Amino acid sequence: MDSEKEDIGKNRIHLRPVTLLNVTPVTLHLLPCEVRVNRPAPVARFFTPAIRQGPDGLEVSFRGRSLRGEEVEVPPGLVGYVMVTEEKGEVSIGKQDFSEGSHSDEPEQELVEPPEALERDFDRFISASASFSRFTLWGLETIPGPDAKVRAALTWPSLAAAIHAQVPED
Amino acid sequence: MAGRGDGGDGAGARQHVFLLPECLKDASKKMTSGLMFVKLVRPCSGEGALYLFNMCLPQLFEIKVFKEKHHSWFINQSVQSGGLLHFATPMDPLFLLLHYLIKADKEGKFQPLDQVVVDDMFPNCILLLKLPELEKLLRHVTEEKEIGKKKYYKYSKEKTLKWLGKKVNQTVAALKTNNINVGARVQSAAFFPGHQISSDKEEDYIRYAHGLISDYISKELSDDLSKYLKLPEPSASLPNPPSKKVKLSDEPVEAREDYTKFNTKDLKTEKKNSKMTAAQKALAKVDKTGMKSIDSFFGAKNKKKVGKI
Amino acid sequence: MDFRELERDNMGRCRLNSPVPAVCRKEPCVLGVDEAGRGPVLGPMVYAICYCPLSRLADLEALKVADSKTLSESERDRLFAKMEEDGDFVGWALDVLSPNLISTSMLGRVKYNLNSLSHDTAVGLVQHALDQGVKVVQVFVDTVGLPETYQERLQQRFPSIEVTVKAKADALYPVVSAASICAKVARDQAVKNWQFVEKLQDLDTNYGSGYPNDPKTKVWLRKHVEPVFGFPQFVRFSWRTAQSILEKEAESILWWVSQWCCEEGGGLGLSPAWEGCPPGRWSLSPLLTHREDLPTGDQEGLGRITSYFNESPRNCPHLPHRYFQERGLESATTL
Repeated sequence: MDSEKEDIGKNRIHLRPVTLLNVTPVTLHLLPCEVRVNRPAPVARFFTPAIRQGPDGLEVSFRGRSLRGEEVEVPPGLVGYVMVTEEKGEVSIGKQDFSEGSHSDEPEQELVEPPEALERDFDRFISASASFSRFTLWGLETIPGPDAKVRAALTWPSLAAAIHAQVPED
Repeated sequence: MAGRGDGGDGAGARQHVFLLPECLKDASKKMTSGLMFVKLVRPCSGEGALYLFNMCLPQLFEIKVFKEKHHSWFINQSVQSGGLLHFATPMDPLFLLLHYLIKADKEGKFQPLDQVVVDDMFPNCILLLKLPELEKLLRHVTEEKEIGKKKYYKYSKEKTLKWLGKKVNQTVAALKTNNINVGARVQSAAFFPGHQISSDKEEDYIRYAHGLISDYISKELSDDLSKYLKLPEPSASLPNPPSKKVKLSDEPVEAREDYTKFNTKDLKTEKKNSKMTAAQKALAKVDKTGMKSIDSFFGAKNKKKVGKI
Repeated sequence: MDFRELERDNMGRCRLNSPVPAVCRKEPCVLGVDEAGRGPVLGPMVYAICYCPLSRLADLEALKVADSKTLSESERDRLFAKMEEDGDFVGWALDVLSPNLISTSMLGRVKYNLNSLSHDTAVGLVQHALDQGVKVVQVFVDTVGLPETYQERLQQRFPSIEVTVKAKADALYPVVSAASICAKVARDQAVKNWQFVEKLQDLDTNYGSGYPNDPKTKVWLRKHVEPVFGFPQFVRFSWRTAQSILEKEAESILWWVSQWCCEEGGGLGLSPAWEGCPPGRWSLSPLLTHREDLPTGDQEGLGRITSYFNESPRNCPHLPHRYFQERGLESATTL
């Protein structure tokens, strides 16, 4: 991963809360190969129209190789988001109205500090650009199936909840 | 990039695929700011890791990332390398506070929390002080004194082990309800839950839960917890508990490009272990028993917990 | 020839056949097998069988069928129309193997080369004729690979039939000539009416012969490279011509194949590591025995193999618990 030195320790990456609301749905495919770039790709013209429902799941090919796929649901209690980090200095939605502050129903949960103190000049910002509740998981030639690693990973939040739940007082 | 009218498909921008708890979405209805990713310490290694704060609730979240070799995303009309999937899950902040309490215990005295939770490497740790019900949490792991109106805390190993024991218990219960295979078997068996559950012993569950909890505490505390739980020494063949302080970069890791060596191995055996990389396998073979003491000579003050517990 | 089914879905295999002439169910028949479009980097490969009663072989010869390669397109169309007119004693069937089927077979984890694909298709068509009740007693096959081994294989598969596999059978036996005409007419029609599954903008149909050495074909290929997806499925990705264009002009892709991965496309200069391959898998396959009429030895375009161990977790000093390792989970450190 590209670690950006400037972020280490000091900086904060602010997630714009407003972007978590009402974000557009996104189509996601998790592919069994590494494409080594981040770039636009005409998925809807080359990939999506070639997907077929076969006897044992979805079928498609990519770069002349056969893929088998299936839909994976995001576990209950979770929401999927695609997030994009903003360029430094980029002005985006949600930054303008600090004055309003946050008005929670319970007064004791109000911020101790004004939000200005949380956001500093050198901080970065990240926004959710889209949300999802399922994605298509592809395997090379075989359907990923129940023992796909990512399926196992999806069980983490429920175990995490148990590990991090407060223990009962004596 | 967001808001540039290309449907968020980012020309070359790094996009992150995240799973967030629904509560964050609900919370964001009431806030215009206060969600932030910061780097804080990982108590088990002293290294930095990413956490998410919701400053409005306030609440702490841990960020795990799913990584599998040679995967990528198609995100709408774009391709994103890496195929990473990030998880934000609520985290018990006491694990982090504990890291600082143990560090501060070198002084051997009662201290106010704002003197304890300080970190040159990760100054954002002060955000932990804004979390709710800290006093209640701290009772699990400290002795406290009140002078004037100020509270002073001192780390208590005895109370901490008791608290961790409860953590292990609730984790064991969750392992059982989630049908997680905890036996010392080939790893792939873990993905067929409900299979051999009946044969998993209570001790296996406790050891497994201990291993999971050890991901949130120092090696020393993990060892103490193991004794507290009366776990027998793990046999050498087990990959866990992993040694936390082995400095990999200086270790003679099995040559990455040495295919001749690799080719002579039985491929079937290789397949079983395919979830481990060569370096991890090499590591598993390294005798780590002598390394702890050496490590403490070099431990950077901020990174290592050298305080006597 | 009714291509509607092929046009509905041309990503796999499509079988078309004439009605079986009643006489072919009663009298002993001779059956010819040939193919068209084996060499091109574009479009489907078509395998065809043609059959008639031994007693009517002279009538078939009277049509003056000849090796399809010696005939012009209009002559082939005319001859095929005549065979359709003579549907009371001539029958045919064919398999259209889509370029996608060819690519995915040849680039499969378990390699399925073009020879095996061809042989299996030929066997399938002969069996199809038998299943339809055609009384096949003799089979003539134009050779693919070594005639001896192929003949032995077919003979074993159909012990009650007299099998002859021969180079240039399409010129020697009228029933094979007729099959070659069926195959070629079908291939031409399939290419001409190809329904691209992709939604392509400004598609150019001037693809030339489709043979890798045809300059028009090369220009077409270059023009239709998409950096991420490579080519439309109309292109056989497994052809070396296609692969070498991708290597230069498309993004690099690494495939996850158990411990071994295969790199293709792009020019990132990872060192190929053939030594690292387990024997028999992902290694260079022996060259195919090509038919002399193939323009180039272009059928085995392989990606490069790189080692699984391109990265080591050196900068991760803490090994997470096995729960996390098994699930590919680790603590995030950056965004």
